[in-house]
Amino acid sequence: MTDLSDLPPALTWRRARAAWPAAVLLLALALWAYAVRHTDVSALDDFGLVTALHPSFWAGLAVLTAGFWLTVRDPARSRLWPGAYVLGLLVMERATQAVLYPTPLYAWAWKHDGVVEHLLTAGELQGAEQVGDMAVYDQWPGFFAAQAALVRLLGVDSAAMYMAWWPLVSSLLLLLPLLLIYRTFTEDRRLIWTALWLFYVANWVGQDYFSPQSVAFALHLGVLAVVLRRYGRTGDRRGQALWTAAIALMAVTIVISHQLTPAMLAATLLVLCLLRRYRDWVPLVTVVSIFLAWCMTAALPFLSAALPEMLRSVGDVGANVSTGYGTTPTGTGAVATSWAARLLSGSVLLLGAVGVWRQRVLRHRALPLLLIALAPLPMLVANSYGSEMIFRVLMFMLPGVAFFAAAALLPTVRTLAGEAREQQTVRSAAPRRRALAAGGPLVALLALTLAFVPSYSGKDRISYFPPEEVELVQRVFDEAGEGSLVVAANRNYPLAYASYGSVDHYWFLEDDRRHVDAIVADPAATLARDMRGVERPGRAYVLFTRGQVANSEMNGQLDGEQLERIRKSVAGSPRFRLVAENSAGSLYELRQDGGAAR
Amino acid sequence: MTPQELVVRMLPPFGGWLALAALALPGGSPLRGAAVAVFLAAGPGAALVGLCAPALRVRPAQGPVDGRDPGFARRSDLLERLMLIVFVSVGAVMIVATVLFATHAFTAQRVLLALTVLTTLAAFSPRLRASPPTPGKPRTGKGSAL
Repeated sequence: MTDLSDLPPALTWRRARAAWPAAVLLLALALWAYAVRHTDVSALDDFGLVTALHPSFWAGLAVLTAGFWLTVRDPARSRLWPGAYVLGLLVMERATQAVLYPTPLYAWAWKHDGVVEHLLTAGELQGAEQVGDMAVYDQWPGFFAAQAALVRLLGVDSAAMYMAWWPLVSSLLLLLPLLLIYRTFTEDRRLIWTALWLFYVANWVGQDYFSPQSVAFALHLGVLAVVLRRYGRTGDRRGQALWTAAIALMAVTIVISHQLTPAMLAATLLVLCLLRRYRDWVPLVTVVSIFLAWCMTAALPFLSAALPEMLRSVGDVGANVSTGYGTTPTGTGAVATSWAARLLSGSVLLLGAVGVWRQRVLRHRALPLLLIALAPLPMLVANSYGSEMIFRVLMFMLPGVAFFAAAALLPTVRTLAGEAREQQTVRSAAPRRRALAAGGPLVALLALTLAFVPSYSGKDRISYFPPEEVELVQRVFDEAGEGSLVVAANRNYPLAYASYGSVDHYWFLEDDRRHVDAIVADPAATLARDMRGVERPGRAYVLFTRGQVANSEMNGQLDGEQLERIRKSVAGSPRFRLVAENSAGSLYELRQDGGAAR
Repeated sequence: MTPQELVVRMLPPFGGWLALAALALPGGSPLRGAAVAVFLAAGPGAALVGLCAPALRVRPAQGPVDGRDPGFARRSDLLERLMLIVFVSVGAVMIVATVLFATHAFTAQRVLLALTVLTTLAAFSPRLRASPPTPGKPRTGKGSAL
């Protein structure tokens, strides 16, 4: 047996050097695991998860980022390490909330759970005459239909059992198409993996939750990857029919699932056709034909009703980029995290512009990516998309922007001309300048990575619904019969859309401002009047929860005191009776024996 | 076809029938969840992409202008195939479930059965091959098992 001391020192050093990426990655994940075990989310403040996280989380994220940067820039390392670090980033970014919170986050995710439940109950696609405005989901049912099947096949009660993990799953779905897109333009793994890293840290807009958009975006990137790789001007048409069939299948999936993504995809493919090297109209014609076919048939009821409003919003850029009433960050935490998000996006966009400006060779070679980044911008002129267009445009721009932002952090890209220049620069540069050239981008990458946390999790006080809140709302739907009405300040509570086929809702903060003032002035009487149309066997409830208060306060609507006065007025009124109450809120029912007439 | 190729080709339909059998396990059981999730995420796509792979391969892929690593293009092709396997599977699940809802025929078992049958047919079908580059001198015909 060989004694270890017999081994040459160089071998031991080489082994230690080979092992350090694993050691750093494990350290970062260990710090993360320690952090999630020692983070208390029971009393979130206005900074959401930011102030609740154990400090070791931040240390873990910093270690992970530094390890990634050092590994990705070392040509001697295995090409698998940057991928392992990016997976580590996804776990820390997108799985932390799933591990920390006992219930799924985000009222919109709960709404989509409600849609899946409704499909399972109804067993068919329904129209506006049955479910009113919610029929829009039956006209783009792809995602929900698949989830309905999955719920039954897994044998779980509802999608709420697994939807907390959807941000991680949907982020993983983006990995392959993004890799392929970037690998079409460069072999430089520093650029490929740094672009991926930047994409993930800048993608804070929160469209990774349990939603059709999360899957449609991945498929959108899948179509782009195929077009960029297989539809360049080679003159060789062999196999094209099958590639077009692959595009058609992805396009059908997008079109039956989501309204905006097909339009974004068509706009991007149209812009790509401006380039001589991608002037193949087949993908564009395929996508547009499928999109129009769906719009003219299954989606026609919604579109014919919404068309006048859609046409009015064309060209109204001011209204389209406005985020609307009830979305003004209010309070130190909401304002600070909102600015962190803006700074993060602004910095990545700025870095992208710097990359385009500095990397002349890359700008030419990766021109399609630059066009992909710019293609979504005209959508700001076209529609407001429920006050969300600016965020969606940002998300669709990110794949292209992240590539050039990564190029800005890397001094030179490995092209034949660039490599010669790099070697010359390295030889002539002073050691201090070289250190700055390596350290500066690391600091930038670190700052952007850390800024993701407040941008993504800074509003968790709004998005998190403790189990008591779920239990309280569940109580409503356990009792409410056909034709019942649930009144609440806003829709920010779990299960808000449960039984939407048979139970109606009224969210009074979304009503006309004068009516909101009337409710604030005389809450119990005004609400009772609003609820008097409910007839037996239906019942009329007023629901107050902490999620509604958080949403109203942090978005510049009524503050906690005003909402508490409304609650006390209802609680003290003989028109209402208390049904249930716990630490997350209270539930009252309108007495139907003449109470509403008083 | 080598025994190894046969195993690879039969894995997706086997996964589908296994997922169907797993429905006999109690709801929420990890084994049932794993069998269903793995098949839905990759099974139909693996069979369909496998069916079309020879024909898909003949169309050359665009790569970096300054490409020097011969293995880079091969790894990109592999990533592309993996992506198609997942996305075609996801697409197949969403389309089949939607069609069953639209025709008032939805049950989750029917979705799984339809996908398993589709996967089985694709696995047993002869591989699709593209037309040869020179017209009139085909090396293998479309639909040939060669």
